[in-house]
Amino acid sequence: MEELAVVGKSVTRVDAEEKVTGQTVYGYDLVLPGMLYGKALFSSRPHAIIKRINTEKAKNYPGVHAVITGADAPWIHGETIKDTPFLAQGKVRYVGEPIAAVAAVDEDTAQAAVALIEVEYEDLPAYFSPEQASKPGALAIHEDYPKYHKADFIVTSPLPNVCEHFKLRTGDVEQGFRKSDLVLEQRYRVPAIQHAAMEPHSAHAMVDDSGKLTVWVPNDAPFRVRTETAEALGLPPEKIRYINPYQGGGFGSKGGLKVERIAIALAYHTKGRPVRVKFNRQETFVSTSTRHGAIVRIKSGVNSDGTLVAREITIYWDAGAYSEKSATVCIRGSLPSPGPYRIPHVKVDGYAVYTNKPVAGAFRGYGIPQAAWACEQHMDDLAKRLRMDPLEFRLKNIFVDGDITYWGEELHNVGLKETLLKATEAIGWGKSGKWGKRGKKEKLDPKGFKIGKGFACISKPTRTPTTSNASVLVDAQGKVTIHAGTVEIGQGCGTMLSQVAAEELGVPIENTRMHPLDTDVIPFDSSTTSSRSTFHMGNAVRYAAIDAREQIAQMASVILQAPEEHLRFSDGKVFLKKDPHHAMTVGEVIRTQLAPDGVVRGNGSYTYELGKDVDPQTGHSDHASAFYMYATQAAEVAVDEETGRVRLLRVVAAHDVGKAINPLNCVAQVEGGLAMGIGAALHEELVVDNQGRVRNASFLDYHLVTSLDVPEMKTIIVECPAPDGPYGAKGLGEPGLAPTPAAIGNAVANALGIRIYDLPLTPERVYWAIQAATD
Amino acid sequence: MNTRIQIRLNGKILALTVPPFKLLLDLLRDEIGLTGTKEGCGTGDCGACTVLLNSKPVNSCLVLSGELDGADIVTIEGLKIGPHLHPVQQAFVQEGGAQCGYCTPGMLMMTKSLLDENQNPTEEEIRFALSGNLCRCTGYAKIIQAVQTAAAELRKNEAGK
Repeated sequence: MEELAVVGKSVTRVDAEEKVTGQTVYGYDLVLPGMLYGKALFSSRPHAIIKRINTEKAKNYPGVHAVITGADAPWIHGETIKDTPFLAQGKVRYVGEPIAAVAAVDEDTAQAAVALIEVEYEDLPAYFSPEQASKPGALAIHEDYPKYHKADFIVTSPLPNVCEHFKLRTGDVEQGFRKSDLVLEQRYRVPAIQHAAMEPHSAHAMVDDSGKLTVWVPNDAPFRVRTETAEALGLPPEKIRYINPYQGGGFGSKGGLKVERIAIALAYHTKGRPVRVKFNRQETFVSTSTRHGAIVRIKSGVNSDGTLVAREITIYWDAGAYSEKSATVCIRGSLPSPGPYRIPHVKVDGYAVYTNKPVAGAFRGYGIPQAAWACEQHMDDLAKRLRMDPLEFRLKNIFVDGDITYWGEELHNVGLKETLLKATEAIGWGKSGKWGKRGKKEKLDPKGFKIGKGFACISKPTRTPTTSNASVLVDAQGKVTIHAGTVEIGQGCGTMLSQVAAEELGVPIENTRMHPLDTDVIPFDSSTTSSRSTFHMGNAVRYAAIDAREQIAQMASVILQAPEEHLRFSDGKVFLKKDPHHAMTVGEVIRTQLAPDGVVRGNGSYTYELGKDVDPQTGHSDHASAFYMYATQAAEVAVDEETGRVRLLRVVAAHDVGKAINPLNCVAQVEGGLAMGIGAALHEELVVDNQGRVRNASFLDYHLVTSLDVPEMKTIIVECPAPDGPYGAKGLGEPGLAPTPAAIGNAVANALGIRIYDLPLTPERVYWAIQAATD
Repeated sequence: MNTRIQIRLNGKILALTVPPFKLLLDLLRDEIGLTGTKEGCGTGDCGACTVLLNSKPVNSCLVLSGELDGADIVTIEGLKIGPHLHPVQQAFVQEGGAQCGYCTPGMLMMTKSLLDENQNPTEEEIRFALSGNLCRCTGYAKIIQAVQTAAAELRKNEAGK
């Protein structure tokens, strides 16, 4: 194989310069001619019937163009379960649900008019825990759930408020427990957290005279949201156009119809004028989406030699008031919840349960972090009871090449063991604790602190099967334009795809550019989610570039009088392999052979065709994922016994990425994930009170990780190539935060000899755990 | 009731008639049309809207236009030196300090302010200086590296003068 010119190199991000100069236009920055400003009225009750809404005063307020309620926007949407109204229809199901909206000449006017809308409620009993909401006899939050339109794979349950029941059945767990030498059962809890992307949510929408709806929004899946919008409005997709301005981070939150639906509903009442709806930070916290809170019960049977025999898991996923992505989070988060281990007897029940809380949706990691918090700490506790080293215990059971998983898939290209060995080596597992660079710098007094180390590993599937398409245009100056529907959410996809196109066409990366994303122009892509883009869109762009190259080679072979297979592309030129001086630029080839202003267009399409959804009754699939991502992270902590404060001294992350197309950006992804995982481990929790109100919907009260909170971080890139991936690449976006809390939890338990089952590990929680253990 | 103010913005004198309670952030973004300064929270908690006001970093979402008469303001759009990136911008490009880029303008203005005061900050001083600027993408590692690179570059430039 020829050496790669630009793939595998840490080239500078293609969007860096515009970002450091403030030129990048994000959704929140967008200004449209003649636009009106929208604001919404949100429910103040967690569960109530709307008896009456009076909008008269708002309608008469000067400067107001439109005031709408559910009656003016009678549409229902949902990706897999159609349960979500654009604006509340007769009842509200959480504090923060949009009820009505106003479009006005400016935002202050719109907000003032919103304050004049009067709502009369009749309260209903509300549920704030998925266990409570799914108890037999609980009142249905969605009384019409049986009638909702649902995707084929949804499994309903006789329990109330369950919107999806995932089942995995392999072997016979009861028999497995009977045969085991040791059985351990535990219960772990993970709270809801918020994505807190730095750019709050916003959308602009307009309906033109022909009835075409255009929406400008930094959505992570413009084609999917176009379908969802089309189904809700009863329009053909070609009557809807989504245009993507830059996205200031999303992490799963900026998908589906959230602020979009308010802008769309208003746009139908503003006579062709565009409407901008911006959520402020508080609205972004409460009325977009959260990560699923989860309650995980885990029971394992193991032999005294450390062989896992059986595992039973029940997870209650707190869906919040609407299903959003809960069904698929429940399926894809519950499926690998028993961990990356060979286990002959497995039973998993995942329940996504409606509650009267903010809506939970996609969040980087898609259920894996919640399950890993439980599974990986449970593994350490099993090892402790077996008097085995946790590393040895895992090595005995982890997935390796050729294993058949408990969901029935034969695994290949498994880099897990390498990540496990490298991460534990880097943290000095088995060696005495070190104070790390920061510990020394801060001159922490080792007295009163207890030092501990821990680690955790995960595997993560990607949504399968999915499709990416791309076009690569090469013009008569040799400049390359990439048409790809992957959304630049900050992850660096534009750089990665430019590297792929530049590699295949042999042009300098400076000669490539990404076309802005517009569903009327760019070919279909499933989504920028599930860490799928490098693998799927990387392949599609690679094929498109190869297609363009072959067309150019055909033309060049005429001029250079040589068969195509004797040609080489490099540095923007085509030349004979044997005689590099016999060369023409790519632009020259097109100018002379096609037309002076000719453009060559190469097309590529990629679908992982073997992929098969899991069977809804057994949870089995022999190709559940196009590829799997593997990672092990390790942490070293110092716990202050007096205050319960956990000081993070060092973290190490080893990730199998298949092939690092851009090593620097891979490390950057992992570091960002680590910081998010550290936040989830130590401070983050969206606090909902007993009236269903979020009590910390601001950056003052919700502790995001700051530059003072992150410790020394070491990232190790492991490359165990996926034969179907571009150059062997897998994915990387999500796993960075998945094992982090469990690794830290294990380090805390290692330090204190005490297991803490609930996140986050705040000083208060750790303090009381220490007190309880000393009593 | 509007008030008349005269400000120096990125080196240019502007005479404006504005409501005195209009936020500097909104003045920049909505009235003047410079959207490089970002809104992340509107409550002074995230630092995305950091600009330099009379050479000091401020959250522009907490400054009222009525206070600005005679003020010298520098935003991200005024950071370049002629056609060239400022060393802090160059360092963020080189080290991968920007991912989604939304916190970047605020980070850069805060970094500039730090390095104007202290050309040789320790890692802890950098972490402390940037602790009011939130970033959800990077985990701060590459940002801190970029600040160190920029500081080294500025010291080199200073020594070469």
